[in-house]
Amino acid sequence: MSGDVTTPTDQPRHDATVEILRLDDVGKSYGNVHALRGVSLSVRQGEITCVLGDNGAGKSTLIKIIAGLHTHSSGQLTVNGEEVHFSSPRESLERGIATVYQDLALVPLMSIWRNFFLGAELTTGSGPFKRLDVKRMVQVADEELTKMGISVPDLERPVGALSGGQRQCIAIARAIYFGAKVLILDEPTAALGVKQSGVVLKYVAKARDAGLGVIFITHNPHHAYLVGNHFVILNRGNVSLDKARQDITLEQLTNEMAGGSELEALSHELSAPGVTPEPATALAAGHRDDER
Amino acid sequence: MSSSTTAAPRVPALRAKDDRVARKSLATRILSRPEIGSLIGAIAVFVLFCVVAPTFRAAPSLATVAYSASTIGIMAVAVALLMIGGEFDLSAGVVVTTSALAASTFAFQLGLNLWVGVVLALALALGVGAFNGWLLMRTGLPSFLITLGTFFMLQGLNLGVTKLLTGGVSSDSVADMDGFAGAQAVFASTLKVGGVGIKITVLWWILFVVIATWVLLRTRVGNWIFAVGGDDAAARAVGVPVRKTKIGLFMTVGFAGWFVGMHQLFSFDSIQSGGGVGQEFIYIIAAVVGGCLLTGGYGSAIGSAVGALIFGMTSLGIVYAGWDANWFKLFLGVMLLLATIVNLLVKNQAAKR
Amino acid sequence: MIRSRKTAVAVFVATAALALSGCSSSGGAQKDDTSSDGGGNVASTPRVKIAMVTHAAPGDTFWDIVRAGAEAAAKKDNVDLNYQGAPEAADQVNLVQSAIDSKVAGIAVTMAKADAVTPVIKSASDAGIPVTVLNAGGVDAWKATGAIGYFGSDENVAGQAVGTRLSGEGAKKVLCVIQEQGNVALDARCAGIKTTFSGSVENIFVTGTDMPSVQQTITSKLQQDPAIDRVVTLGAPFALTAVKSVADAGSSAVVATFDTNKELVAAVQSGDVEFAIDQQPYLQGYLAVDALWLNINNGNTIGGGSATLTGPAFIDKTNIDRVAEFAAKGTR
Repeated sequence: MSGDVTTPTDQPRHDATVEILRLDDVGKSYGNVHALRGVSLSVRQGEITCVLGDNGAGKSTLIKIIAGLHTHSSGQLTVNGEEVHFSSPRESLERGIATVYQDLALVPLMSIWRNFFLGAELTTGSGPFKRLDVKRMVQVADEELTKMGISVPDLERPVGALSGGQRQCIAIARAIYFGAKVLILDEPTAALGVKQSGVVLKYVAKARDAGLGVIFITHNPHHAYLVGNHFVILNRGNVSLDKARQDITLEQLTNEMAGGSELEALSHELSAPGVTPEPATALAAGHRDDER
Repeated sequence: MSSSTTAAPRVPALRAKDDRVARKSLATRILSRPEIGSLIGAIAVFVLFCVVAPTFRAAPSLATVAYSASTIGIMAVAVALLMIGGEFDLSAGVVVTTSALAASTFAFQLGLNLWVGVVLALALALGVGAFNGWLLMRTGLPSFLITLGTFFMLQGLNLGVTKLLTGGVSSDSVADMDGFAGAQAVFASTLKVGGVGIKITVLWWILFVVIATWVLLRTRVGNWIFAVGGDDAAARAVGVPVRKTKIGLFMTVGFAGWFVGMHQLFSFDSIQSGGGVGQEFIYIIAAVVGGCLLTGGYGSAIGSAVGALIFGMTSLGIVYAGWDANWFKLFLGVMLLLATIVNLLVKNQAAKR
Repeated sequence: MIRSRKTAVAVFVATAALALSGCSSSGGAQKDDTSSDGGGNVASTPRVKIAMVTHAAPGDTFWDIVRAGAEAAAKKDNVDLNYQGAPEAADQVNLVQSAIDSKVAGIAVTMAKADAVTPVIKSASDAGIPVTVLNAGGVDAWKATGAIGYFGSDENVAGQAVGTRLSGEGAKKVLCVIQEQGNVALDARCAGIKTTFSGSVENIFVTGTDMPSVQQTITSKLQQDPAIDRVVTLGAPFALTAVKSVADAGSSAVVATFDTNKELVAAVQSGDVEFAIDQQPYLQGYLAVDALWLNINNGNTIGGGSATLTGPAFIDKTNIDRVAEFAAKGTR
């Protein structure tokens, strides 16, 4: 309804890309608590939309609506031009929306290849002899991970033995392999060190290059600015900023992100005085989140 | 969360692309199987009793040990699957008695062919499992609590219904009813192999373990069992039918309980309504000794069989050794602890490689 | 008009329901009466509450017979009997305590774990509630509790009777199967056999709640020691299982048992089980309640300060047919 007005991203972007997912004035309330109000955003093929916000800003509610864990209570959710109301994660998955949760992405005790194909196992044979096609699954998992540039010594290793970054990458590779059109990444870098974050961001970019629309949820503007095409900042369930990359600098983004609380902005600048909008140094400056 | 601490030292693995080919050696891979530690423990127990108890070595004795292991093992394999799926079933011991009582009571009171009772009992046992699973998924309470409730309910039901219908606390003998001979052949017969009587439960047990192992390692359902036990939220997120898997696992325990119940009914003709209490822990112990994690997501069906074998060997080996019966439970506890420690040592050794 | 009609209908329905429910319950009770002891007149003494607390594990047929005896006495004596059983001593103590708290007129209790229950029996006596001790255990300890009487068999004496009989038969080695570890009464039975038996006695513990393991354990013992020529079990269901073990192990041992039930009577008739030694549980339950009633209403005590023994009585081929009649009714 009000989408044309509130999404300035529509106008400056080249029209070559296809809009896959669109939220118009979406809201969600639990009883009389409004967790999300009037959120509009658009996800296009081959682009990364960054959703930023502090804790409690409504990021996770937003993810849950798109991933089908919750149903939105107002507004419209449109996937490929079709309005939808998801009532289960399956419905969301079936429309090509894959969510990589920060903690729930993988089963730690299971091997890499089993995790890669979990829920969508390849089988061979029929009737009572229908069985897992282990050979093919191991081979495909190996190929896909190599394609993404991820190297793990042994696909039989339990995922729990891998580093956090490796796990995120496996989850991303999995989503891409299974034909996701939209990839929701829930704070993939939040618990990671600098180098690990860099590796994960690389795969986020790879996912974008593979033609996926990516929703990158984070509260780190530095990470967001490295890869993002659009930036949406949520604040107390409302959209407080919605800009395309060319309309905003990292500094502005950081300031906007810090928004209400002046003190936090100050400490932020104090802790990383050398930060410039230049991406490489921003990462090297080692901005880490201390919230975890 | 924990990943941030483990992340740093493992970074090289990401870069070292060529390392991928360097797989673990075959020996290490075998050693890292969940059941291998208990297998070595089982061999140790076996050797010990072979040395100290001459009669233990005789074929008829081994057949008795196998029988003992089978009656625990048939349940333990189902319980192990459930534990891999991340849940407990404290009603597993009592459901054996419930199904045996149900089969005999249905058939006896209504004058039906015993096979009708057997089928009705199967439906009941599966129903109990489904109820446990449904309630678990519905309420989100720990399965420990829910099945504790079922445990008491069934215990009371066993006694109450039996008293109501027979006036006593054991079911009426079904030995002279139609279908008894056939059912006994299936559930409780003894096969003579070279002069040694092998109970048919041993063969069923082996079959069930083979099927369970196949399902666990080579089917989608097996993958789902590991996933729901390892991290059910993650499993749900990637589209694993968590609810169906867990309910199915509880129903599997119901099925195993039914089977053992039928064995008891057709080998003892009449069933004591107070039986089965306390057995649930023995099944869990067998599964855990066999390498199942109490927290779920890890374990094996073969391991549960090895655990049942250790339990059977130990409990009867003490008798064959002629050790003072007063100390029986102490010996049993020590042996189980030793088997578990060997298990742990082997696992740690494998992890170090 | 309409209103009163509605009320009338409601009253009618309610009475009908009451009548119906009353009918079925009294019908069941009447049927019970005729089958057990032919009705009999109910005492004219005021209705009193008596609690019976045993250490019965659920599922032991023996206790059904005790309870049947107790209920028969209660019916005759116009007593409101509250029967409870708890195998754990602590639970049993709690049940007795709650009976004291609810101010019953009398308590009948078992003392299988004498030390544990003695204090609570004392406090019942101190509170002026007459207590009778029944069944097994506490044959020496009961006097110190202030209880007014003891109705049971001395387990040790019963065991001795078995030992004497087996010696007479020329048996050499007896296996005594204990289905519950730490039960004083069961231990005393085996100990009794040991004192009078001329050969050797070996005890073995089995898990009473798991029949297959009972069978397996006895089988393995018989395989281990072929010299065993008698298996004595301490409960009727275990005797029937021991018969299967003997067959499994290819042993020639003869099975005998303490206590009886319906199936066991058939086994004695068929010769599978040689004999059962009976402590007449029906009598224990009956006398324990009856003695309380006599004490409450007439100040009597039974036994003159010493235990009233209800056993041992042998059931074998010579008298099985007569016992079988009563066993079928669940009173022997």
